[in-house]
Amino acid sequence: MSYAYLFKYIIIGDTGVGKSCLLLQFTDKRFQPVHDLTIGVEFGARMITIDSKYIKLQIWDTAGQEAFRSITRSYYRGAAGALLVYDITRRETFNHLTTWLDDARQHSNSNMVIMLIGNKSDLESRREVKKEEGEAFAREHGLIFMETSAKTAANVEEAFINTAKEIYEKIQEGVFDINNEANGIKIGPQHSPSNSNLSPGSKPPSQPSGCC
Amino acid sequence: MFRSRSWFGGSLWRTKNPHSLDHLKYLHTVLSKNQTVSESNRSLLVETLRSIAEILIWGDQNDSSVFDFFLEKNMLSFFLNILKQKCGSYVCVQLLQTLNILFENIRNETSLYYLLSNNHVNSIIVHKFDFSDEEVMAYYISFLKTLSLKLNSHTIHFFYNDHTNDFPLYTEAIKFFKHPESMVRIAVRTLTLNVYRVQDHSMLRFIRNKTAAPYFSNLVWFIGNHVLELDACVRNDADHSSQSRLADLVAEHLDHLHYLNDILCLNIDELNDVLIDHLLNKLFVPLYIFSLLPAHQFSPLQEGKPRVSSVVSLFLLSQIFLITRQEALVNDLANVILKSTAANWENGSFVAQARPVFGAPSRTLEESLETSTSSLGEATSEDVSEPVGNLNITDEEKEQRLAQEAQKVFLEVVVNSLDCDENDYAALFALCLLYAISQNEGLDHIMLDGMLLPARNTELKQRYNAWLVQKLVNIVTQSCQAVCKIRLVTLELAILLLQKLVLLEGKNLLSDAHYAAVVGAKEESAALLTSYYKREDMFGEMFESEDEDMRKKPLNVEWLMMDSNVLLPPTGTPMTGIDFGKRLPCGEVERARRAIRVFLLVRSLWLNLSGLKETQLPLTNRNDCVQSDTDLDLTNSDLLACHVIGPDGVRNHRFLVVESNQIILVVPVPGKLGYGRPKLAAMLHDLDVSADKHDSRSLFLSAKFTTVGPMVNTKFIFDDHIRCMAAQQRLTKGRTKAREEKMRQMEKLLDIPPSESPQYNLLQQLRHQHRSAGSRSMLHHKIPGFPTQIRVSSASPRPSGDEGSEASNSPGTRSRDGSPKLPRPRSEEIQLESIKVKQHK
Repeated sequence: MSYAYLFKYIIIGDTGVGKSCLLLQFTDKRFQPVHDLTIGVEFGARMITIDSKYIKLQIWDTAGQEAFRSITRSYYRGAAGALLVYDITRRETFNHLTTWLDDARQHSNSNMVIMLIGNKSDLESRREVKKEEGEAFAREHGLIFMETSAKTAANVEEAFINTAKEIYEKIQEGVFDINNEANGIKIGPQHSPSNSNLSPGSKPPSQPSGCC
Repeated sequence: MFRSRSWFGGSLWRTKNPHSLDHLKYLHTVLSKNQTVSESNRSLLVETLRSIAEILIWGDQNDSSVFDFFLEKNMLSFFLNILKQKCGSYVCVQLLQTLNILFENIRNETSLYYLLSNNHVNSIIVHKFDFSDEEVMAYYISFLKTLSLKLNSHTIHFFYNDHTNDFPLYTEAIKFFKHPESMVRIAVRTLTLNVYRVQDHSMLRFIRNKTAAPYFSNLVWFIGNHVLELDACVRNDADHSSQSRLADLVAEHLDHLHYLNDILCLNIDELNDVLIDHLLNKLFVPLYIFSLLPAHQFSPLQEGKPRVSSVVSLFLLSQIFLITRQEALVNDLANVILKSTAANWENGSFVAQARPVFGAPSRTLEESLETSTSSLGEATSEDVSEPVGNLNITDEEKEQRLAQEAQKVFLEVVVNSLDCDENDYAALFALCLLYAISQNEGLDHIMLDGMLLPARNTELKQRYNAWLVQKLVNIVTQSCQAVCKIRLVTLELAILLLQKLVLLEGKNLLSDAHYAAVVGAKEESAALLTSYYKREDMFGEMFESEDEDMRKKPLNVEWLMMDSNVLLPPTGTPMTGIDFGKRLPCGEVERARRAIRVFLLVRSLWLNLSGLKETQLPLTNRNDCVQSDTDLDLTNSDLLACHVIGPDGVRNHRFLVVESNQIILVVPVPGKLGYGRPKLAAMLHDLDVSADKHDSRSLFLSAKFTTVGPMVNTKFIFDDHIRCMAAQQRLTKGRTKAREEKMRQMEKLLDIPPSESPQYNLLQQLRHQHRSAGSRSMLHHKIPGFPTQIRVSSASPRPSGDEGSEASNSPGTRSRDGSPKLPRPRSEEIQLESIKVKQHK
């Protein structure tokens, strides 16, 4: 199916915070979470709609590739959105957020939308990081924040879709250079350059150029 | 919500336990009955494939009989069978995702071996998918990448067959090394690195003999073409219009270098030999280094060959030395740059050995892989040429060439680029390159001693590279002129390199003449700054903020070389979004800022060369603010009770104290009468005080820096309007005094005589008034209810101005802001009173 835009995401965070499970939960809901089975995947794609436009999300998990500097570097740069995940039942995964964020900010393009995710919200009894702490961290660093559970699927949709909405808004505001695919955004077939006049971010042809 | 389970529409379905051997058996029947893919069974097949993945993972963790059954029925062959039917992307994608999930989640080694045991996975790898479909491509490459993460010395044999010399996982993947989609390229790189790091000799031999030359030659050609594109972008972008495109190309080049470095760092000698040979002879030397020379110089061999501008070439070479420390590569490369002479290159080659040429590989990667893997054991046609860095010449030759020897062709160009008469465009990159070489840990020290580092041989007369140092000193001297085209970043880097060249174990080896030039430059820079000096708060703040900025962000050359903006010709306008230090100043204020920075940089160079310690800067040390872990003895201090309304609307009761040029908010310490624990402290000169028009008991305070972060228009409510006024005056005066002191410090730094300034007189005059007022006892005029007596503080710094000049001041002038109105509450005068007076009392 053709799309208006394709957004590339990456998922980052410590190992074991449930990155690949979140990814699978979002891209393939048919895998219903069962208590004795955790399944994840490193790549997935799914179509969503925003503002009645089809938008395809491609999500790349970077797990297991940290050994190579060249790889992490390139991943960050090629993404329009990043989900930064920690585990609310393990304090250290929260403590490492700054390192992840520094890395992301250093390598990514400055417009990349980063969403902070406190995962495993179903495990309330084992919680070590308060929701307020996550909120405070997000506020301090200008991130969007959400607590999710890949197990119960709580907020998983919202996490991915809200990130997409934010990217979409940035496109509308003309912040992203959508003609540069290196930003992690691709224009779909019906938005091909031949009729790029109609795409958001560029000037509508009807408007006089000397408007300001 | 949409659940695809409903496609089966079977209540029959739901009765089954989805995680059981029985269910897998059932799915097997479904597959058997639907061997031909059609429009009608497509969805059924997709769900069946998905369910199989789920059961297998469950089986891997819970019930091994599931895998036995899967293997026994050879179920992977169904997968292949489906693939072969041109089933369309819908089924293909599900099939690939099923495999991804399987390989990603299997934890049991045995289960993994089962899955890999018959050659099905390799058959799937070589299947010709429709790669024009971007979704299929993405899932396919993810599948290969997932597999590569499972490689180890055991599993490698399922993928690499040393009898047939066949390694489809690797050879299929590298065919996509220049795929237009960046994520695909990254996946290919990840996969190759994962393959290389498996320590298996026969596999590595295969990689080296059959694939290394074709892959690396094509990779190098790909990188080179990227570089040409980058160069074109720089050439055609005099008006800074395609910054984002350029940024992308620069980042891409860095990605390439990091990737090459990651391969080299795996230290696989046989692979590194081939890679380094290609890099040097097919890219770095012929394209990067040759481009340093004017086009006509190497005419016979290089004619018609692509070139890049020397600026781009210096930039790219710097990046190499900043990123890789691989000895074999950096030593050869540095050797060519630093040592090679015209004689070495007589025939357009480096001492008649390999001829470095940047040209397209004779065959595409696909073609090469086709032929080299089909013909067993035959050596590849791409021959490995000799390394280029070898400088062995016989004694005879040496003598003959002695005359020519002196002229080092490339080094000459690099060092001459340091002339900044017209601009510093090329100079910045020449500095970067020399700095990058000098700090590279992979390099042989012998090559750098006396060249880019001080000579360790103490018998030498000249222990540093005087030729180069002279150029650097010139940059420093020129930078201190009022009109000059040298950017701050260039000066900073020149200073950095200069110190590297002449400082040995903290000792400076400079000759008297060079040292005198630096001292002269320092004085010039002070004179230049003095010409901008204004006795205004604004100037003081600017000075401090520049000082702080430079302290906070010392030059990081690696980051500088990641910034594509420096590749464009130097510009002045801030509208390009280029950092201040990386462009020329625009307007009077920026010229003043520049003068401040030049002064600070040259001064610190002078201090380092003179072996002196910094004692005057920074003007304010905000770490001196009292911290919350020290309880203050306030038994004799002026305490003003107040309520502070925080940003969140929370109201806190605090006592306000002014001490040692700070405003401190304290709370009582339980059990320690008269002591206060600081909750917030800020420097008085950072403070802005304004009255509340609607409430005479309230003040608004702001400060950029406090011990607990910035304070923005925070409301302070006092008991009544008198105390509020008292607080306001105490703070305003304290602030004025603190700022005066700053000014005096700064004047001392610049050797400006203090009496020149009118505002200075103003303070003296104010103090004079206080002095006469202070002769009366202020304790008698205490405000009713005022909590404590005035404390004689030994910690508060004394004003350094000499009191003798006071007499000459004429009374009657007023300070512009917050000027106190007479009569003022007596208790407030103490803050401006010198300690001496208090003690006399």
